[in-house]
Amino acid sequence: MERLDFLRELGNIGIGHATTALSEMLQGKLLRLVVPDARILPFEEAAAYIGGLDEIVAGIFMQISGDVTGHMAFILPIESARTLVELLTQRHGTDEEIFDELGRSALEEIGNIMITSYLNALSALTDLVMSPSIPALAIDMAGAVWESVLAGALVDEAVTIIRTDFSADGVDIGGNIVLLPDEEEFQKIEHALGLEDF
Amino acid sequence: MQEVFVNMGEIRALARTGVLTTVGLGSCVGVALYDSVAQVGVMGHVFLPTARRRNETVDMPGKYADTAIPALIDEAVRLGAQKRRLWAKLAGGANLFPNLTTSNGNIGSQNIKAVLENLALHDIPVVGQDVSGSHGRKMRFFVEDGRVTVTAIGKEPIDI
Repeated sequence: MERLDFLRELGNIGIGHATTALSEMLQGKLLRLVVPDARILPFEEAAAYIGGLDEIVAGIFMQISGDVTGHMAFILPIESARTLVELLTQRHGTDEEIFDELGRSALEEIGNIMITSYLNALSALTDLVMSPSIPALAIDMAGAVWESVLAGALVDEAVTIIRTDFSADGVDIGGNIVLLPDEEEFQKIEHALGLEDF
Repeated sequence: MQEVFVNMGEIRALARTGVLTTVGLGSCVGVALYDSVAQVGVMGHVFLPTARRRNETVDMPGKYADTAIPALIDEAVRLGAQKRRLWAKLAGGANLFPNLTTSNGNIGSQNIKAVLENLALHDIPVVGQDVSGSHGRKMRFFVEDGRVTVTAIGKEPIDI
């Protein structure tokens, strides 16, 4: 198996669990469409990877500890974040009203559930422990969120990204989950799955 | 007017006219160096304080504060600036995730500190800055007169 195929498959399994958890949280409102992507990008290309740098996004960021260490982020356009928070809290209003303390903690919880279920799927598959920290949320320019995620994870050379886009029928929601393992950490995952021989 | 974008780790320069722009500064620090006599401006988008591996600095000196500052000066001089006339303006170095306690610490404040130290090492005065806090910034540097405008979501633009 090619390394990127393997990473893509890993992303696929992770997002499967994450979107199921999210659907349940929203009383089955979401249907999922999964577009997994795995890449090893040179640093120079990493900046542009996230898209429109001055568009506003919500980013939920966590550190992973345990057998495999690294960071994970869940990044979604502000409109999608708003729709999710509205669905979850049954409230409507301006951006300021929606993203008050209650709205922000709802969004953190959504990120928490997405990332934790993604990690649980990987843990079950590999028998390796991966524990997320408490989630941190930023609502800001995409470029600022993205570079803070990369710098926070100390990713300064080639960037290994497992990204999974999803969208939902009926409600317009998109976003992506990015897994940034520390250096050498992928080898542990591959080892656990006996993939070195491929 | 020509607008040149400066991405993470890059260094860009212009003479006489045009604007150098970094979009979405988070924990990174945007560094503008200017010589008003020569009307030469250079801008860097510093990602981390220093390289974790020594060999890494060669391909992209603009990534790290300790290699970016000398590279920015060299680039300004190459375009006709004089080192003794250069001043600096800074923006960025925020901590967008203040609630996250990670083993890597607050990268934004580490970046600011490293940039200031390296500028001091070369006797370059800092004449304006809008740094730290917990919000992203967009920085535009007008090479005609050295004006730097910083914008952030939900805030009035400011000149530094």
